[in-house]
Amino acid sequence: MERIEHTFKGMGGPCRLRLEVDTSAAADTAIAAAVAEVQRLELKYSRYLPDSLTSRINRAAGLGAPVPIDQETAALLNYANTVWRESAGLFDLTSGVLRRAWDFKSGRCPAQQELEKLLPLVGWERVQWDQDNVYLPERGMELDFGGCVKEYAADSAAAKLRQQGVSAALVDLAGDMAAIGVPEGTSGWPIGIRHPVSKEQAVARVLLPEGGLASSGDYERCIVIDGERYGHILHPRTGWPVRGLVAVSILAGQCLVAGSSATIAMLKPPGDALDWLENLGLPWLAIDADLVVHGTMA
Amino acid sequence: MSRPKDERNKTVLALTSSALLLPAYQGALADAQPEFTEVGMRYSKYDEDDILSRKAFGGGSERYEIDVAQFHLLAPVADQWSFALDVAWEDMSGASPWFVGESASGSPKVIMSGASIEDTRTEVSGTTRYYFDRGNAGLNYTYSDEDDYTSNAVAVDGAFNSEDGLTTYSAAVSTSHDDIDPTQGTIPTNTLSARKDVNSVWVGVSRIVSKRALVRFGLSYTYRDGFLTDPYKGDDRRPDERKEWAASAGYRHFFDAPNAALHVDYRYFNDDWDVQSHTVDIAWEQNLPQNFRVTPFIRYYTQHEAEFFYNLEDPSYEYFADDYRLSAFGAFSYGLRLRHDFGDWSINLDAERYKTDESWGIYSGEESPGLVDFWRYGIGLDYIFR
Amino acid sequence: MKTLTSLLMAVVLCGCETVQPWERGILAKEEMQWQTNVSEAQLRNQIYASKEASSGGAGASGGGCGCN
Repeated sequence: MERIEHTFKGMGGPCRLRLEVDTSAAADTAIAAAVAEVQRLELKYSRYLPDSLTSRINRAAGLGAPVPIDQETAALLNYANTVWRESAGLFDLTSGVLRRAWDFKSGRCPAQQELEKLLPLVGWERVQWDQDNVYLPERGMELDFGGCVKEYAADSAAAKLRQQGVSAALVDLAGDMAAIGVPEGTSGWPIGIRHPVSKEQAVARVLLPEGGLASSGDYERCIVIDGERYGHILHPRTGWPVRGLVAVSILAGQCLVAGSSATIAMLKPPGDALDWLENLGLPWLAIDADLVVHGTMA
Repeated sequence: MSRPKDERNKTVLALTSSALLLPAYQGALADAQPEFTEVGMRYSKYDEDDILSRKAFGGGSERYEIDVAQFHLLAPVADQWSFALDVAWEDMSGASPWFVGESASGSPKVIMSGASIEDTRTEVSGTTRYYFDRGNAGLNYTYSDEDDYTSNAVAVDGAFNSEDGLTTYSAAVSTSHDDIDPTQGTIPTNTLSARKDVNSVWVGVSRIVSKRALVRFGLSYTYRDGFLTDPYKGDDRRPDERKEWAASAGYRHFFDAPNAALHVDYRYFNDDWDVQSHTVDIAWEQNLPQNFRVTPFIRYYTQHEAEFFYNLEDPSYEYFADDYRLSAFGAFSYGLRLRHDFGDWSINLDAERYKTDESWGIYSGEESPGLVDFWRYGIGLDYIFR
Repeated sequence: MKTLTSLLMAVVLCGCETVQPWERGILAKEEMQWQTNVSEAQLRNQIYASKEASSGGAGASGGGCGCN
């Protein structure tokens, strides 16, 4: 068995593939296929790229003509709808517009009226979509797949590796991970979950078996207002940052499901979030604003 | 740390089942359109043992030999289609049992046709297959041509997966129209020209038993109608209709520690000529370092004789055949396959020994002196265009 | 025979666990397929069918040949 590691940039961050293969000859095509898959999804769904499907959908908002979509996008919208429903509206693909009012680097709060101008543009229930088309009914509305595409890309890149005959590999897209198989002679891929403040220190070490591990939260991208710490995750109905947990990591069958679950937990008030995570039944780890570590992986 | 138990919570269940509709999670079973074009060439040799002198008039005789070349192509076409082309060329030579006579000692002996058979067969088979969300459907046309026999066959098949993807239901129907025009040569033939139709239906279900095991069951019915007699056999009078049933079961199990897969297949066959048979096939696919795989296999077959099988002819019989294929016997075969993958290439070597004996069967009957033993060897090379 | 088959089938099907799509990697391996070498399997089945009185079982029978 040979261990091969490949690093590249994608989805706005550092990415890493770890493979265990019989011979390195077959690994090259597998790595190329996995990297191409991450790039394909980035080109298709990034809201920063003017030619992406997301940008075309957003540009067509309010113009009267629905945008045709493929089966993958329809399945992604259907998935986003499920997360929206399961989170009682907290997870909302249209809430990205609120970021126009918030500049976390400046440490400054937007005026309430600025937020009130944007809030009517948020509302997943108003998006018109079916298997073939999607349409945002109002000018200025936006879809943002950022909350699920990176996790989906990790799973999809892992699936590509599997299709290429790789039986054990770990895909790591800036912290969102998907694993197929396990390293020979072990029960999982050793992964350290980083401490939100002292970055070099791991809060927990886990063995990831076949499946996905996703983390949500970024301690640095927060804002302190009147001594109160606010996260960078915005509540879709108030437009204000959620005063919730600092970081959540979840292990699930897929990186996508782990990622959405972590996001939902970040959107809830800390007490509710911990109860909700407890009931979820998935291995989890959460860090609250006082940097207290909770969860089954702690 | 325990594995995630996704079924515990309804939120996780809802998220998971909705996520699984995405394309990345669909390709876990080999049901999708092939990603790459693959081609393969094979050469095989089939070689029957000489018939023993105590079993044949005129001393021992060479029997049949076949050289087979096969070509295989499978290519993805457009978005959801694939096309497969299979071509086989066979070059046959040697002698075949002509009829059975009674020797001076009273034991039946076979009279061989002499080295009179020399034939080539070409078979061309094309399959287009369509892949949809939960299965695939294929249409196949096969044409086979040799000096004395032409066959045209069409088959349609489909496979459909249950929503959870754990169960696959399959079905197939096929129809074949064959023209028989025996070569007029040194041995007299039963007919100058005849036709035969074969219609067949099959249904199957396969099921994922665990992360390491699969099982399947199948049931088939075949109806043959027309000239079912062997045109080259001395006195051969068979019914012009045959109804066959076959039930089959298969099991695959993967073992982590030896890195190997066990294959077990069983078939029960039964027809209205009173033939019944049991077939058991067992193979062990052992992966080895450096991308080698070695597969020993054994097969056991036993059949009950057809109701009109007799070694010696009596004109009072309505139907009669002295063909060893219709006698009661048992057969053991065993062999070895070796496979090596290197880059986009893979090479296969295989050898098989097949031996028959009346006493090896579970059904007793008259022993035919014409029973056959053979060797089969093959070498194949496959390439994937990545 | 048929009763035995259906009985066997019922027993086996009840004993199945739910295997999620992402847990089917081993089942997708080449050595776990019903046929591992299609060309060789075709030839084998054709030879057996021409030397024995039985054929079929694993799919609808394809074209015929006047194999001796």
